[in-house]
Amino acid sequence: MKGIISGIKRMEIHDGAGLRTTVFFKGCPLRCIWCHNPESLSPAPQIAFFEAKCCGCGSCKLVCPEEAADGGVDFSKCSQCLQCAQVCPTGALTIYGQEYEADELAELLMQDAVFFETSGGGVTLSGGECLMQPDFAVELAQKLRQKGISVDVDTCGFLARSALERILPYTDEFLYDLKAIDAQVHRKCTGQDNTVILENLKFLLQHGCKVEIRYPLVVGFNDGECQKIGQFLQDLKFTGKIKVLQYHSFAKSRYTALGIPDSLPDTETTFEDVANAVEILKAYGLNAVNGITED
Amino acid sequence: MAVYQAELLEIGRQYLKNDAKDGVLKVNSDIIIDCMQNCKLLFAPENRFFCTVDCDGLVRDLHFIRTQQYNDELERLGLQDGQEALAHTGGPDIGHTCAHWESIIPLGIFGLRERIVQYRDLHGKTEKKKAFYDELLRVYDAALRFMLRAADAADANGNHEMARSLRVLTQRSPSTLFEAMQTSLIYYVLQQMFDGTVLRTMGRIDQLFYPFYRNEDADTAKTLVEAYLQEINALAPTANIPFALGGTDPDGNSLVNELSYLFLSCYGKAHLPDTKLHLYCSKNTPNEFIEQGLDCVRNGNNSIVFLSNEAVIASLKKLGAQHNDAVNYHVVGCYECGAEQELTCSCNARVNLPKALELALNNGRDMLTGKKIGLENDGTFPSFEAVFTEFLRQVEYLCKCAIKITDLHEMHYAQTHAAPIMTATYPHALEQGGDLYGDNAAKYNNSSLNAIGLATATDSLAAIRKLVFEEKQMTMDQLIQLLKTDWAEHEALRLMIRNKYPKYGNADPAIDTIAQKTVDFLSRTVSGHPNKKGGVYRLGLFSIDWRWQMGEKTAASADGRLAGQPLSQNSGATFGADRSGATAHLISVASLDSSGVPNGLIVDLDLHSSCVRGENGLQAFTGLLRSYFTLGGFAVHCNVLDTETLKKAKEDPAAYPNLQVRLCGWNVLFSSLSDKEKDEFIARSIQQGSL
Repeated sequence: MKGIISGIKRMEIHDGAGLRTTVFFKGCPLRCIWCHNPESLSPAPQIAFFEAKCCGCGSCKLVCPEEAADGGVDFSKCSQCLQCAQVCPTGALTIYGQEYEADELAELLMQDAVFFETSGGGVTLSGGECLMQPDFAVELAQKLRQKGISVDVDTCGFLARSALERILPYTDEFLYDLKAIDAQVHRKCTGQDNTVILENLKFLLQHGCKVEIRYPLVVGFNDGECQKIGQFLQDLKFTGKIKVLQYHSFAKSRYTALGIPDSLPDTETTFEDVANAVEILKAYGLNAVNGITED
Repeated sequence: MAVYQAELLEIGRQYLKNDAKDGVLKVNSDIIIDCMQNCKLLFAPENRFFCTVDCDGLVRDLHFIRTQQYNDELERLGLQDGQEALAHTGGPDIGHTCAHWESIIPLGIFGLRERIVQYRDLHGKTEKKKAFYDELLRVYDAALRFMLRAADAADANGNHEMARSLRVLTQRSPSTLFEAMQTSLIYYVLQQMFDGTVLRTMGRIDQLFYPFYRNEDADTAKTLVEAYLQEINALAPTANIPFALGGTDPDGNSLVNELSYLFLSCYGKAHLPDTKLHLYCSKNTPNEFIEQGLDCVRNGNNSIVFLSNEAVIASLKKLGAQHNDAVNYHVVGCYECGAEQELTCSCNARVNLPKALELALNNGRDMLTGKKIGLENDGTFPSFEAVFTEFLRQVEYLCKCAIKITDLHEMHYAQTHAAPIMTATYPHALEQGGDLYGDNAAKYNNSSLNAIGLATATDSLAAIRKLVFEEKQMTMDQLIQLLKTDWAEHEALRLMIRNKYPKYGNADPAIDTIAQKTVDFLSRTVSGHPNKKGGVYRLGLFSIDWRWQMGEKTAASADGRLAGQPLSQNSGATFGADRSGATAHLISVASLDSSGVPNGLIVDLDLHSSCVRGENGLQAFTGLLRSYFTLGGFAVHCNVLDTETLKKAKEDPAAYPNLQVRLCGWNVLFSSLSDKEKDEFIARSIQQGSL
């Protein structure tokens, strides 16, 4: 079984307990306007161009069949044949999206087994949405768990129940995004309805799964949802951690590199905004933490 | 800090005339006593325990004058060109020692003197032996007089506490924590300034001071610990003054005690730039102690080296040290470990590994100067194995040259150096009735060879394999021509190799195996090789700043490095080549067999502060270190990068290609951010720092 991965980050401490390796799956069903991983939106491998690294050697021009690449990429002409990245000597042209066999990827991840063991860490499947490639995700999680490696799943929750049911037996903790309770707000921010997301969260909690909620706070967009999220989780008698994440626009340069028009809000979310949201959530009796300073 | 006095050196030169007649021990003793009687005493505001003096290392300077006569010998041996090209270097080393603190602190200067008398009465049977002990006594008597001189000066300075205890310590051994610390600082001045034999560690201070600490109340102890650290910091010798905490007993039980924690917490708060700390860690060392050490590191105390007791002890025992001596090891400088009562001489010989490859590819000739400094060959390389074998043959030759030069100097220590002050601290030397240098009277009289540029050489070999033998993009001759012309008109190829070819430091067995085989070969060639002092050579794989000097004299290498650029640092990956992150980097380094590398196998690990933030960050950081040691790692030096680094990374992105930054739930490569974003991040980082 093959999967497409946009990146692997070893020695990660923000995606679950201990030292972890985070695997970023390619492809996502949502289109959050603040998305910070634009390279993981499309399910297919794609070219990115980072101008600062370009040495102007012209190697790309020699191989480009569409006359799109020449010390830069004209994305209106680019057919995503990916040849330019192969010959680029500096990595200015690079490919997001590498194909892996589950066995091969599991073996690579297993290199860090000692690190996982000594720190109480493991592997976190993230993205994009890792469960957009459910067969691959399940096979990978299964292989890792067979070898005694802890697996966390970072998910947006917008997916078929069956995918959750299948990954559940191999998952130690779910890192679950909650962006809005109000359906209108959710649709406006992510392009999709949130009924499935809320139902899937209830399903996980009913099954006694360990869940950490992540609430990306984007002032002017979903900051008004804070009370509703608090109420919703209180009604569910949620006892896990809810982490408030700060929005910023660091992904801008990657949108440019990928040739994707960015929808990033110009608003700023400050430390105080996050701290205020944490206080509001705490008032609902929730274990809320500030994602800027705490894990 | 003492000032150097030119006129003092002139007086010292007069003494040299007596070398032939009286012997170096007597002459050095005369100089030492002269300095003790006549030097200026310098009191700094930090000095609570002791002062410093203005004749820093006169004997050391005279040592170098004495050794100059042997440099002519190099020319006769035909080794001068290789030495000048920094292909191999060698020489004496009186710069890396550990005194026997386990004698000094309990006995004090007074007790050390008494012990000389005891040994004289027992072993001073012959005229020659008796003369040796009398010479040490003469020096230690002068040391006691020097302490009284200092006491008078302290009184005149209004420091009566210092004065009173100095006088007491001429009459008896130390009995309080204050006196023990004072003894440590007095001894430092005696050896470093007068003996001229550089003292490169204050020893295991948590063990040495613990018996005294137990009798103090907590507040006094804390005040003294803070004052002690301030005062050793104020000594400010070249390359900092090290001290050590932790370790194990001979059965492997952790020796971490209350005082270890106290020193660590005071050190963490004091931010002392001129000290460095060695933490001796074993599997039995409590996690909280390691966590506290790592907490210091992430708060900006980057000058801490963590060493694995298991790896260090194994390497020293393999070299021939007895179990207990290996367990009570000490680091005599940056990373090099010596057994108890071992004269390590950790910085004698050096070999430039990328230069060995250069010589292999160029018929034994330096590509930059054309001079023949290696072994000739027929210049045909039918396979990668042929290249690798020829590389190792040149490495072996350079090692032989470096050892020959070192031997040449070390066989003459009797004519170049004697160390009466330090010698009197080693029980073994007292029993032998001989000087540590002139008579090789340490328990272990070893020498060292450091191989520099392991990653540069490994990556270059890996590149040759891929480029010439696997992908057949060019012939060996074409590649050699390219290297000779510093990649002329092949910049794209150079960048491709530099940025995209597989490199050491990524847990890639196909590449790491080249480094492993090189290290194994070096271990067999160097470690255990007999020296001229009745001891053996020790292999080290640390580079410190030699990698810059050697890099300047090394031609372009096949890893994409330009001529003149620095070589790789210590035993780690080439900067920027560790693309797979810290864990992969550590796996690669730990895959090297350190059991033949007692002189130090060290990796520098750069981490961003956001990677080790918070409680989980500290736990993960500890896990990182423990895992490295579990995998067999020897020593690690962690750099947690701060805002300043980010600013530099913004100005020069190429120098920090792998710096990752993370705020909330994701990572970005710092180099991939726009300037505006980088500025935001720097501002953010300043804010974080102030939280």
